[in-house]
Amino acid sequence: MTQVALLGADLPGLRPKLLCAQGDRVGRGLALFHDRANPEVVFVSPVSGVVDTITLGPRRSLSALVIRLEPDQHEPDPTSVATSPDEIRETLLAKGFWPAFLTRPYGRIPAPDAVPEAIFVNVTPDNPHAPDPRVVLRDQGDAFPAGLKAIAHLTSGTVHVCQTPGTDLAAGCGDRIRGSFFPESQASGLSGTHIHRLHPVDQNRSVWSIGYQDVAAIGKLIETGIHDFSRIAALAGPRARQPRLIRTIAGANLQELIREETLPGNHGSPLCVVSGSLTNGRQASWLGRYHQQITLLDDVAPQSRISKGGLMGLFRRTSSQPAPLIPTAALEWALAFGVPVVPFLRALSVGDAETASRLGCLEMVEEDVAAVSMACSSGADYGRMLRHVLDELAEDA
Amino acid sequence: MTGWTLDPFRMRQRSGWTPARVTVAQLIALAAPVAVSLVERGTPQIAVLLTAVVTCLIWELAFGLIRGRPLSLHTATVALIFAVLVPASIPVWQIVVAVSLGVVFGELVFGGRGYGIVSGAAAAAGFLVFFFTGTELASSSEIMALATLPGLVLLLAGGLVSWRILVSVTVVLIIAGLIQDGASSLPSVAITAVFGMVFLISDPVAGATTNPGRVVFGLLAGVLIVLFDTAAGPVVAPAAVVFASLLASLFAPLIDHMAVALIVRRRRARHG
Repeated sequence: MTQVALLGADLPGLRPKLLCAQGDRVGRGLALFHDRANPEVVFVSPVSGVVDTITLGPRRSLSALVIRLEPDQHEPDPTSVATSPDEIRETLLAKGFWPAFLTRPYGRIPAPDAVPEAIFVNVTPDNPHAPDPRVVLRDQGDAFPAGLKAIAHLTSGTVHVCQTPGTDLAAGCGDRIRGSFFPESQASGLSGTHIHRLHPVDQNRSVWSIGYQDVAAIGKLIETGIHDFSRIAALAGPRARQPRLIRTIAGANLQELIREETLPGNHGSPLCVVSGSLTNGRQASWLGRYHQQITLLDDVAPQSRISKGGLMGLFRRTSSQPAPLIPTAALEWALAFGVPVVPFLRALSVGDAETASRLGCLEMVEEDVAAVSMACSSGADYGRMLRHVLDELAEDA
Repeated sequence: MTGWTLDPFRMRQRSGWTPARVTVAQLIALAAPVAVSLVERGTPQIAVLLTAVVTCLIWELAFGLIRGRPLSLHTATVALIFAVLVPASIPVWQIVVAVSLGVVFGELVFGGRGYGIVSGAAAAAGFLVFFFTGTELASSSEIMALATLPGLVLLLAGGLVSWRILVSVTVVLIIAGLIQDGASSLPSVAITAVFGMVFLISDPVAGATTNPGRVVFGLLAGVLIVLFDTAAGPVVAPAAVVFASLLASLFAPLIDHMAVALIVRRRRARHG
């Protein structure tokens, strides 16, 4: 691997203040930029190398910051071990692990001084073909329990360790760290479902969610002072030569990662590389910060695209506008939040933030409505609509 | 809003309903009733069917061309439902007028299937009865009622009709039947009402869309059928189902509004 990137797509609504310039040499764990609104929230380089390119998106948001790997001879010194709650908070902020947390409502990186009512650790394979957490955590030793104990200092409430049925991964970590078990069913792997069941949120009640790999990395940082940004991701999909788990880094260049891993497509169809799952991922060149699977699909060959002209073209043309929403029972099955689905989707599709919030959109983020988008006759991307509405509500809040 | 559709790769993986697939499912469900109507009514029914289908498709094509929207061909199902509802003795020009009004003002002016507020077929049948006074809709036979059932099973399995609506309509009809003339009249009520219940009242885009709302919507539709029917005479008139469907559809948004208010209040109570 020669390149990794930090992506604006993972940081909705964030405006960075850059602390490095193109061509700068950066070490692993060194700050690259911080949040303009919260300077304490620092984003660090997961590898040592040279800043290759920085692209900014609309409204001074980050599009991508690419780092070319140039292995440093000396590893960064292990930081001193943090023990007190304030030290832990400072360490996580300064060492770039704060963005591992996402608030619910709004699905954003929490403010540096915020105290959540609870923290939800997602220890489930969040999608079909995602890595099994029990396998991933097996060779992590004590890092995961240590991470749980560390993040318990950030909240006055409970740390819910949401897992698939089996041995309790949170056993013996103290009484504020509680294991909850979610039998495998639709949406059982989504933090949104866990939060809805155990601690529903609204404007005034906020919880955080975090993935298990980040918790293990935090455990390692707190215990040993070593920055470990490695990530175990599952390589899957019909075009994967050998579906398996691979150890890589969040933000890794996917083209490099999959170079030897793809099967030739039927009829020479090109490859579609998706960071994340089929329902919830995005076509990308870099592995997303919160993604732990890479899906390789067939793309449609350019020559087979249908001509849009003529009378027959009218039957086949795909519209740039969403098709009508036909209220089928599949919609009710696809959204598990006890909300009236069709009125909710209508509110989202007209951007009616007030109604959407009344109906419970604050409990959700994009991944929670991905199944509805796939089930709906309209072909609308409700995730994008939800983000639009959440951003509007977050600005008002 | 434009540009809010799914990424192309997710669009292709989508396994759920698309407007075209909904149309196909409804056409399959309608195959048996249409076949029965052809057998029962003979050659004149072919003319009714062809006229209705051609009229509908011309209008859909015209609107598709003007609006630049892809076709779902849903109006074909409107034509088939209409053809089953009307008797074969209707003059062709009346069919053309009624179907045109129904499909244009019931569906296409709103933007097509899924954007309107009433079922296009119910609107067409309603226009026919209103405009050409003296026209009676075709009465249903036992075989027609039986032929509706496989389609009902298909649509239920696909989630395209709501069992809540069907059950509550049925409950109202049974209660009303028992009160009025005892159990003897129930079979005839069922035979007349079942086609309209499945294809008009349970039309997913014309009914209420929340689960509590669907129950209320079904109850309202049932009460309206009984009401219109009592006004019409002793046997359940097919037109009663059509007008009950139209009127109940107009109330669906109100019912949904109240159901949503109820659900929101329940959520507030739960969240404290």
